Amino acid sequence: MSFGRFALKRSLQGIGVVWGVVTVVFALRFVTPGSPINAVAPLDATQETRQAIAAELGLNQPLYVQYGQYVFELLQGDMGRSYIRGQEVTTLVFERLPATIELALAASVVAIVLAIPLGVISATRRNEPVDYGATLVSLGGISTPNFWLGIMLILIFAVEFNIFNTSGRGVDVGDVAMSVINAEPFVGTLLTWLAYITLPAIALGTYFMALITRLTRSGMLDELSKGYVQAARAKGLPRTLIRYKHALRNTLIPVITVLGLQLGTLIGGAVITEAVFSWPGLGTLVIESINQRDWPALQGSLIVIGTSFVLVNILVDVVYAYLDPEVVTD
Amino acid sequence: MVSSRVIRNLKKEFKNSGLAKLGLALVVVILLTAVFAPFIAPHNPTDQQLNQSELPPIGFSETAERTSSQMVDGEIQTVTEEVEITADPDHVFGTDGLGRDMFSRVVYGARTSLIVGVLGTLLAASIGVPVGLLAGYHRGRVDDALMRIADISLAFPSLVLAVALIGLWGRAAVNVPDPFVVAGLAPEMPESFVLPITVVIVVGLVNWVWFARVARGEALSLRGQEYVKASRALGADDNTIILRHVLPNAVTPIIVLGTVQVAAIILLESSLSFLGFSGTTLSWGFDIAQGRDYVSSGQWWIASIPGLAIMLSVIGINLLGDWLRDALDPGIEGEGGAA
Repeated sequence: MSFGRFALKRSLQGIGVVWGVVTVVFALRFVTPGSPINAVAPLDATQETRQAIAAELGLNQPLYVQYGQYVFELLQGDMGRSYIRGQEVTTLVFERLPATIELALAASVVAIVLAIPLGVISATRRNEPVDYGATLVSLGGISTPNFWLGIMLILIFAVEFNIFNTSGRGVDVGDVAMSVINAEPFVGTLLTWLAYITLPAIALGTYFMALITRLTRSGMLDELSKGYVQAARAKGLPRTLIRYKHALRNTLIPVITVLGLQLGTLIGGAVITEAVFSWPGLGTLVIESINQRDWPALQGSLIVIGTSFVLVNILVDVVYAYLDPEVVTD
Repeated sequence: MVSSRVIRNLKKEFKNSGLAKLGLALVVVILLTAVFAPFIAPHNPTDQQLNQSELPPIGFSETAERTSSQMVDGEIQTVTEEVEITADPDHVFGTDGLGRDMFSRVVYGARTSLIVGVLGTLLAASIGVPVGLLAGYHRGRVDDALMRIADISLAFPSLVLAVALIGLWGRAAVNVPDPFVVAGLAPEMPESFVLPITVVIVVGLVNWVWFARVARGEALSLRGQEYVKASRALGADDNTIILRHVLPNAVTPIIVLGTVQVAAIILLESSLSFLGFSGTTLSWGFDIAQGRDYVSSGQWWIASIPGLAIMLSVIGINLLGDWLRDALDPGIEGEGGAA
């Protein structure tokens, strides 16, 4: 199979999965007790009012018509109107999505920047104090609930030392970029951005930092024991070249795949981190929509979360296939 | 299933690894705490003593400013006074905002965490393992269908799906009578344990896919083995082969995954309780949520202590998982399905 065909096949599979995600999200309403009308109708609504609301929301249609209509509208980017906020769900979700992506990316940067050097050092200095330290840190990292870590960070850095903000988003990363163009005080905007994002990014990123450190360490140990490394050593290649160009590169390929699969954990973690830091992202929207039985908003958020997961994993698989052509022949 | 070679490897690895010893010690302590909670907890964890609220843990006595409304010259005035808040030796970890003993709450929280962790894992395994074995053994359409379902299920983060299902289905809980209290051995303790049944079902439902993946992988590689082919040639039917030959040989990686899953589900349960999606109020996550409101007013221990309990339990279980993985099969992937 050629690389192009592999990418095409993987994308078609992805479309199938996204369709499944949409169907599951749609079905969720029918395995839930209580009618969606309850979320909209006043408590003392008469039977007529309730029927009128049902007709307005299209809930009196047969199931397959509702489903067909939902999918049809979804294909045009229409996810309905929020019961509670009255806004278009598409607008609502895409208003919230950038904040979540920004938080997830910031957390990933924190994680990757710390984890890869730590994992490499740990593997190359096996059983030295540095290795034990890194092992303990990563063990603690994968075992700490991120919401608790968030609260502890607030306790230390915001309450005791009063350095960071603990609630909300301040400015977004776009504002930081625009401040350069608009000749606004760049440093000031950047500092405001950092004041808001640093603690949530650390709270969310720590688990992944720990996970990547563990994966990098064991992957590096595995690669360094392989024949090609010994051959390269025997040939007299410099140690740094062997470690970083050869071994690390081969280590990172499987690490990327695991990270793709862990994206769900990252998004799940973002939901709770957003709750701790009142970060105005998709996670906060999901929880609010559940509590208010705002079905269109909940369905829209879940579909966007599920679809992002599928997209990122297709991307990971395609990049993987590009880096390691053997995958394509499977 | 458990051969002498397996036991030998376990012992050897245990002897060489300090971390394995630490892990086992932590898990044993937590297990005993959970089982014998009524004897270990000095107070009833739900007992509110409002005149003893917000006491610091032992060793952290402090002076603080307290404002109160008092009648001064016939008028109600707000008076701020310096108060010495001394730790009470009766409350080792202090008390929470409602004067409940933190140590007792931490002890009882171990029950919730462990029971949800273990039952949730068993439920996930009992769905995932049969599905995975059947799919991997039969391959073809069954397998394709399973893999697509697994893909769809993976697309929803466990926490998001769990929050949605519990939020929508309700937070049902079952009262399980505490045998020690019923027998009259610890009369002042809560009579029953609140089992958050929706949480157990939901964490099982959102985590089955990890078991299905591992079981499928094992079945795929085992179906080609000579002894499986031989029993097929001898006329054994598929279900017998799966039960007698495939399952016993797939048990090791499933146990390793199960251990990691208990840790992951404990983290998931604490997240759910923290967000208020649980059926019980005796949970570490719930206490952290309560303690969060006290963080800015100086009562740091209410949120901190239950978190340390979660961390130590999860570290213990993860170390146990590392030990089992290293001793039983170095080739198993060990991560997956965390909260």
